[in-house]
Amino acid sequence: MSQVPSTADRVDRAIGHVLNGAAPRVAAARAGLPSNDHGLMGMAATLHAALPMPPVGSRFEARLGARLAGLSTATRDPVGWALRHPGRLIVTGAVGSAFGVGVTAYAVWRTSRRAAAGPAHRLLHR
Amino acid sequence: MSLEPRSRDAGEGDPDLEAVRAAQIDRAAFAILYRRYLERVYGYCFYLLGDHHDAEDVTERTFLAALSAIDRFRDTGSTFRAWLFRIAHNQLVNALRARGRRGTTPLDGVPEPAGGDDPARALDRADEARTVRRALAMLSEERRQVLVLRFVDGLSAREIGEVLERSPGAVRVLQHRALRDLERLLA
Repeated sequence: MSQVPSTADRVDRAIGHVLNGAAPRVAAARAGLPSNDHGLMGMAATLHAALPMPPVGSRFEARLGARLAGLSTATRDPVGWALRHPGRLIVTGAVGSAFGVGVTAYAVWRTSRRAAAGPAHRLLHR
Repeated sequence: MSLEPRSRDAGEGDPDLEAVRAAQIDRAAFAILYRRYLERVYGYCFYLLGDHHDAEDVTERTFLAALSAIDRFRDTGSTFRAWLFRIAHNQLVNALRARGRRGTTPLDGVPEPAGGDDPARALDRADEARTVRRALAMLSEERRQVLVLRFVDGLSAREIGEVLERSPGAVRVLQHRALRDLERLLA
């Protein structure tokens, strides 16, 4: 079931038309505003004209832009990355540890194999 | 600087989503969003604080906070610009609280509306614009915020609701009342 739009809804719609360049009367009529609220659209158009985008200082724009760019680059460092992503840090640590354990186990196994082979084995390698 | 249509509604989808995703992968891409919104965030701050230096300060804090929190932005129905203006709103509230007074009045350095070829008409329009801005400064902070977010930044009622933590219906009512107040003040 569709609801009947309230006056505030119609005013909002009419403001949308004014902001898109419609004349106040046209905007009011298109949005189906009651006649006693038609004057509000004149007010809306006047307000829109009175609030142009203020100019941003070029020095400020450049300074803030450079600061943001500096922060973007700084965030590429590995310590910063690790601190921002603790989950990934744990995974990286776990993989690194597993690799370390593997290398150590292989070294121990190799040493014990050589020891078991005895002096003859060592002579072969001279 | 090119701007999106000033009254785009959130229902049409978030036009910034692609740029936001790029910035979440590589923060250098945040520059696109910075260029797109610097003027509008600054305009919002300027018309509520009434001073260029304070507006620059709040704008700077807003973008620094947005960059550091960009990873946390999720596409859950709210637009990026509503999210960004929510940050600006919080910074603005802090600035107003720190100043301990209502931001308003001076508003120097606003470009006056053009009056065509007729200098007398241009002067009249400039006078009218100053009168309207003075009347705007007399409204309550919340009504002023609604009008600035709508008329300067082109946010929809839904987006303004997200910024001010109000329902879209409440925003429309505030907007209607604010316009009525202005009409009364200027009568």
